Amino acid sequence: MNRYLDLSIPEIHELFVNHKITPVDLVEECYHRIEENSDLNCFITLNKSEALEYAKKLGEEKVEEDNLLWGIPIAIKDNISTKNIRTTCASRMLENYVPIYDATVVEKIKSKKMIIIGKTNMDEFAMGSTSRTSYFGAPKNPIDKTKITGGSSGGSAACIAGALTPLALGTDTGGSIRQPASYTGIVGMKPTYGRVSRYGLIAFASSLDQIGPMTRNVYENALLLNEIVGKDKKDLTSRECEREDFTRFIGKDIHGMKIAIPNYFVSNIVSNEIIQKLDHVVEILKSNGAEVDYIDMKYLDQAVTLYQIIAMGEASSNLARFDGVKFGYRSSQSDSIEEMYANTRCEGFGSEVKRRIMVGSYLLSGENAKIYYDKALAIRNAMKEEFDRVFQEYDFILGPTTTTVAYNLDESLDDPRKSFMDDVLVIPVNMAGLPGLNIPMGENDDHMPIGLHIIGNRLEEARMYQIASFLENKLK
Amino acid sequence: MGEYKTRVGIEVHCELKTNSKMFVDSINNYGGMANVNINEIDFALPGTLPCVNEYGIMLGLKAALALNCTINKKVVFDRKNYFYPDLPKGYQITQARNPIGVNGYVEIEVEGKKKKIGIHDIHIEEDTCKSTHADTKSYLDFNRNGVPLIEIVSEPDMENEKEAMAYLEKLKEILLYTNVSDCKMEEGSMRCDVNVSVSKTETLGTRTETKNIGSISSVGRAILVESNRQIQELEQGNTIQEETRRFDEKQNRTILMRVKETGNDYRYFPEPDIPPYILEDTFIDEVKEKIEVLPDERREIYRQAGIQSINIEKLIANKEISDYLRNFSGNLVIASNLLLGEISAYLNKTGKKIGDTFLSKEKFALLVDKLDRKEINNQIFKEILIELMETDHDINKIVENKKSASFTEEELKVLVARIVSSNPQSVEDYKAGKDRAIKYLMGQIMKETKGSSDPTLVNRLLQEELARK
Repeated sequence: MNRYLDLSIPEIHELFVNHKITPVDLVEECYHRIEENSDLNCFITLNKSEALEYAKKLGEEKVEEDNLLWGIPIAIKDNISTKNIRTTCASRMLENYVPIYDATVVEKIKSKKMIIIGKTNMDEFAMGSTSRTSYFGAPKNPIDKTKITGGSSGGSAACIAGALTPLALGTDTGGSIRQPASYTGIVGMKPTYGRVSRYGLIAFASSLDQIGPMTRNVYENALLLNEIVGKDKKDLTSRECEREDFTRFIGKDIHGMKIAIPNYFVSNIVSNEIIQKLDHVVEILKSNGAEVDYIDMKYLDQAVTLYQIIAMGEASSNLARFDGVKFGYRSSQSDSIEEMYANTRCEGFGSEVKRRIMVGSYLLSGENAKIYYDKALAIRNAMKEEFDRVFQEYDFILGPTTTTVAYNLDESLDDPRKSFMDDVLVIPVNMAGLPGLNIPMGENDDHMPIGLHIIGNRLEEARMYQIASFLENKLK
Repeated sequence: MGEYKTRVGIEVHCELKTNSKMFVDSINNYGGMANVNINEIDFALPGTLPCVNEYGIMLGLKAALALNCTINKKVVFDRKNYFYPDLPKGYQITQARNPIGVNGYVEIEVEGKKKKIGIHDIHIEEDTCKSTHADTKSYLDFNRNGVPLIEIVSEPDMENEKEAMAYLEKLKEILLYTNVSDCKMEEGSMRCDVNVSVSKTETLGTRTETKNIGSISSVGRAILVESNRQIQELEQGNTIQEETRRFDEKQNRTILMRVKETGNDYRYFPEPDIPPYILEDTFIDEVKEKIEVLPDERREIYRQAGIQSINIEKLIANKEISDYLRNFSGNLVIASNLLLGEISAYLNKTGKKIGDTFLSKEKFALLVDKLDRKEINNQIFKEILIELMETDHDINKIVENKKSASFTEEELKVLVARIVSSNPQSVEDYKAGKDRAIKYLMGQIMKETKGSSDPTLVNRLLQEELARK
C-alpha cells in the first residue's frame, strides 16, 4: 500500500494536480488503514461504497487547482447530521436513524469536494470526556491502546492521531475537541461561538456547542476552518463575519505579543510533567520576544459547576425530542403513552445521558431555575467580563489543556464526577464563547502527548493559528 | 350576608395571519391534507434549530399596541418543557418571562356603561400538532405545528357573562381590524379558556378554568352555569378546588376534566437557540402607523355623520365595507345605505368582494354625489348597478345613456295623455273607483318607457291627467 496519506495536504494536492494520484487512491488507502486499525474503534459508521463511488466520479472531473481540500478524505463526528448516512450520536436511541438532511457544515464540506469517509465514535450524545459512554464501545488511543482517547470527540481524535484520515470534524461543548486532541497529540480548534453554524449538530447544550476542525497540524486546521465558517440563516446564533483566510498570519513571528497565564492553570491541580512542558513553552515565547505574565483570574475555578448547571439544564430540554414518537428507538413494551415515553427513554439512553437529563431536569424545576440556572447565567456573564478584562491587556491566554495525560481505559469508571474534572481547564472557554485551540507541546516519559491550550479573544482565530504555528515549529 | 360576586378572567389564543410558521420556515396553512406543510424542523429532527418569523413578531407587537400595552422592546423567548405527542420538540417556544406586551386594556360597553378590562399580558408562541384519536390509535397533523399564536391574558376584571362576551367581541373586532388574526372561533383560529371564581368579599375566590369553549355565546353560558355551580357548592358548605373543566353545550353545564396539581412544572428557561430580538423605536412607530382606525373610532365617525345605529353595527361587522368607506368625504348616509343595501345584495349574490368589482372608490363617490344632488334616483341606480359593477364604463356616460333612453317630464306628459286617451274604458273604470284601472295605466306607461321613468313622477302625472278628464 502507498503512504500518500502521510503527505501534507498541499503535497497531496500537488499530486492531484499533476495527475500522479486520484481521489480513489487516497480513499482506498483510508479504508485500508481503517480496516487495519479496526481495534481503535474510531468509526461507528463507514461510508465506504458511497465514498469510493464519489471519489471515482471526482477523479473523472477536473482538479480544482485553487481548492486545496479537493478530494481530501474527512471523518465526521457522529452527532453531525449527514443525509443518507446513519447518524447515531453513539446512542442506542439513534442506532438506526438515517437523517434526511445535511448539516450546514456537511453541505459546505461537500461543496468543497471533500470526501466523507465515515462517522466517528464519541461519548453518547457528546456527554463524557473519555468516549467511554458510547453505545458502540470506547475508541482506543493510537499512542497507547490501553489508554482513553478523551472525549467526547474521541473517535475523530484517534482517527487523526492514527493517521486514518487527514481531516476530521469534532464538536466541543465543554472541551470535547481540545481535550481529546491533547490526549492524542493532535491539533483541535473550538472556534468562537457562532463562527460555525450549528444547524444539523445534534444539540447537547445549545449555548455552548460548537463544531470545529481536528487535524494533524496547525496549517491544515486553519485550511479546514476556512471552509466551515459563516453566517447561516438556519442558525440564529451564527455570526455575521467578514470572510477571512485563517492561514494568513501563519509563518509570522510572535515578537511583542502579550501572553497571560492564569495562576489557576498552573496550580496544583495540574501534574508536574505537564507544568514542566508549559515552562519550556514559556521560555520559547520569551526568547522570541513575547511577554508572558502570570495573572489572577476570577471565576475560573467555578467553571465546572456552571457547566454542570447550564449544560445539563439545556441538555434535559434538548433531549426531550427523543421520545419514541417520531424517530429513533421506541420501546415495544408499553400500554400507554406515558409508559412508552418512560420505557423508550430508559432503554434508549445510556446511564450517563440519563444521569445528566435527571440532574438537568431537577436544576430547572420550579424554584430551582432561579436558585441554580439564573444564578449560573449571571456568574457566566461575570466570567465573560473577566475574560474581556484580560483581553484588553493581553493577546492570548495560555495554559495546559488537561491536568494529566490520557489515563487507562478502565480507570475511574465508577466516578461520574471525574469526567468533568478532565475538562476543568477547557470549560471556561465555552462559558465565555471564546475560541480555544489545542496543539501538542511534547510528551511524558511514557510518550503520552501533552497539550498546550491557546485561548484567544472572540474572532481572533487567525492570530491564534499564528502563535500556534510558530510554537509548532519551535517544538518540533 | 352579602351577595356573591363573580369574577372572570379570560385567556385567548389567536392564530396570527402569517404566510410561514413562527419558528419554522414551512408554510402556515392547515386544514387541508394532513402533513404536507412540514419540513425537518417541524418534525424536530435531531440537529434542527428554530428560525424566527419577523412578520409574526410584528403582528404580536401590533396586537399589543392596539390593546394599549406597554411594550417589552427586547423580545426574548423561553422554552416550556413538557411531554406530549403533539409537541415534537418536547418543549414549546413561548414568552414566559418577558411577554411582548404588558399592562394593557380594552374598553367595553355593557348596557350603556363603559368599563376598562385590564390585559395582564400578551405573548407570542407556537401552536402544537393537531391530534385526532380513533379506536386505539392517535394521528398527528404536523401542519398545525408551529403556527404562530398570541395568547392574550386578561385581568379578572369581568363581573358577569355580559362583560365577558362584550370583552371577547371587542377583542375580536380589534384583532380583525388590525389584520392580526381572522379570529374564527368555529375554525379554531381563536380559542378561549375562561377562569371563573365567586366571592362575597373583595378577595377573589378560588378559580376554576373552563377550557376551549367554542363560541362567544357559549362563553356567556359557561360563565353563568359555572358561577352558579360554585355558589351552590359554597352554599352547601363545600369548597372550590382549582381545577380544569370543560363546557358541555348540550347539557349546559361544566364538567370536571382534572384537578390542578400544585404548580405545573414546565421547567421554563430562556430559549438558547434564539438571541434577543430588539424592537427599535422607529420600528414600533412604523407599526403604530400601520394600525388602521379601530372600530370605536369608526363608530364615532358614523354616528356623527348621522348613520342609524343599526347600520353602524352592520358596517363595523363588515370590515371590507367599512374599509371601503374610509376617507369617504361625501354623504355617508347615502353611501352606507347603498353599500349595505343593493351593493351588499349584489356582492352576496355573486360571491364577489367589492374590491373585485369595477366600482372604484372614485366611481362610488361620483355615484353617491349624483344621488345626493338628485341627478339620478334610486330607480336609475338599481338599473345601472350591474353596469357599474361589471364594466369600466365611465359613470357619467352610463347615467347619460340611461337618461337619454328615458323621458323628460314634458315627454312623459305627452305620453301619459296619449295612453289615457287611447284607453277610455280604463278612464271609466277609474272614475267608477276601480283601483285596478290606475295600475293598468301605470303599467302601460312603464312599458312604453321601458321602466326608465320614476314611478312617483309617472303616478303624479297620471293622477293630474285623469283629474282633467
